[in-house]
Amino acid sequence: MAPNDVPPGLAVFVVEDEALVALNLESMLDDLGCRVVGPAMRFDRAQAMIDEGVEADVAILDVNIGGRSVFDLAVQIRERGIPILFATGYGRGGIPGEWQHRPILQKPYTERDVGRAIREALAGAERTGD
Amino acid sequence: MQLDFERLFDALPSPYMVLDAKLNYITVNAEYERVTMRPAGEYPGRFVFEMFPNEGESGRRLRDSFERVLATGQSDSIAYLPYDIPRPPELGGGMERRFWTCHHTPILDDDGVVRFIVQNTVDVTEVVRLTEAATIPFSATAGATRLLERAREVEEQRKALLAESDEFRRLFQQAPGFFAVLSGPEHVFTFANDAYVRLVGGRNVTGRPIREALPDIAGQGFYEMLDEVYTTGRSTGGEAMRVVLQRHPNEAPEEVFLDFSYDAICDRDGDITGVFVQGMDRTEAVRTQQRQRLLLDELNHRVKNTLATVQSIASQTLRSARDLASARSDFEARILALSKAHNLLSAQEWESTRLAEVLASEFSVYDAARISVEGPPVTLTPKASISLALVVHELVTNAAKYGALSEAGGAVRVRWRLEEGDGPLVLEWTERGGPPATAPERRGFGSRMIGAIVAGELGGSFEPAYDPAGFSCRIVVSADAVMKG
Repeated sequence: MAPNDVPPGLAVFVVEDEALVALNLESMLDDLGCRVVGPAMRFDRAQAMIDEGVEADVAILDVNIGGRSVFDLAVQIRERGIPILFATGYGRGGIPGEWQHRPILQKPYTERDVGRAIREALAGAERTGD
Repeated sequence: MQLDFERLFDALPSPYMVLDAKLNYITVNAEYERVTMRPAGEYPGRFVFEMFPNEGESGRRLRDSFERVLATGQSDSIAYLPYDIPRPPELGGGMERRFWTCHHTPILDDDGVVRFIVQNTVDVTEVVRLTEAATIPFSATAGATRLLERAREVEEQRKALLAESDEFRRLFQQAPGFFAVLSGPEHVFTFANDAYVRLVGGRNVTGRPIREALPDIAGQGFYEMLDEVYTTGRSTGGEAMRVVLQRHPNEAPEEVFLDFSYDAICDRDGDITGVFVQGMDRTEAVRTQQRQRLLLDELNHRVKNTLATVQSIASQTLRSARDLASARSDFEARILALSKAHNLLSAQEWESTRLAEVLASEFSVYDAARISVEGPPVTLTPKASISLALVVHELVTNAAKYGALSEAGGAVRVRWRLEEGDGPLVLEWTERGGPPATAPERRGFGSRMIGAIVAGELGGSFEPAYDPAGFSCRIVVSADAVMKG
């Protein structure tokens, strides 16, 4: 596997409240050979998808969804055994201690950043078993 | 043989009198009677300043001297005191200028309390007059003159010192910084200036040990720091240190931030006698700093998010462009639409925009006769303002390129309404008078973006219709994008 590759056909659950950013992330994930689940752009939509038993290999979560913190959702997604990485304009300072060791995508990010963060999330999940 | 003290007192060659602790006369001797020109029988029971009123500085100095004796139990002297006394009517009446040297001695009871003050006062008026007339050498009083001049110098010096220490006290009292002096191992307040008293909520701390005077700062480390300074003599302090004060018993504790220092006070032998406390209340500055920090964080966040939006517009425009030239003009137009939405928000301090303004801003370059915009007042959240501005931009651009605004005579009509009871915002966009509309073979970025914004971000729906009469669409936006009417 080339350094920028992620496993082909990887299902990526996207929670991002900025439509334009979500569109661009979709394009990047397409190029990386991933399948996008969502994107959920509203908190209640993301919650509904989790309640319906969303299936994904990894989740990319914007930390602020329409003014609400995403970490309530993150707990439920972690419970479903889906590795998580965060996208944020705040940097690592805006991430609570409990989630500090998760990969972070600092906005704006490139396709290469997305690939690297997904690989980190998958590797981290293998190490910790979640 | 029995000594008669009253006779002895009366026979003393120098003027003496005795006051009680309220400064009322008990008795005076014969010489006192003579120099004051008043019969001894007038004195007993009378207040000293009733007998010799003086509202001026001399009166104040005499009173201060009595009070020092009462307060300290120590003797006190005034080396040189100008003090006018009334002249008896038979000698012409009025006031007579006199100069005195006074010595005040306390008489204590068994408990050490001052019960009486004995005053020995010497009328030095003649000597003063001679000094004032010093142009004539007068050998007989030369020694006395020098003595008196010395006495006057000493008295002047003492007055200056007192005035200076008064001045310092006032300076400390009114200084903008807070000052306090703590004495002894229990840190008893012996001085606290106005700023200090304000800091602790107006509580009376003077004379009380700090643990009793300020129990609310227990557990915050300050008692311990004071103990440390008192034991080791090493200065300590803090910058913008957080303190929680319970200023008033029935109010919530308050958080303040202080710059302060604790310094040991030593006596002449170098032994530590107390701690000098000084500092500044920095609460306002710290709060301002915190607010600025928050604002900077928020600004940074917004800039990063805006850059991510711009990145997406650039990337998506390039992906779907037919050629570089059209990519460039599409990109520029979209950035401009984003910028105009920011202007509208900025004018409202980033709180909201009005839907009518968002539309007007995009239609501004077109002939008003071809545009019809109508609907109730609708205020949009900041996020919805930016999103809808981009949607309207795409619709206007499409109309200009392929729709009603691409041909003379074409017109655009926009109507919107708010559904009853917190219902969604419904916007109808109708183009007429242009070429027939046909559904595009490939979905471009514009329509993908409109779909993503309206359906995904704003929780509504986008329904385009391609008719021979022209393009139209219906946009539904969930109520939470709308702030109010």
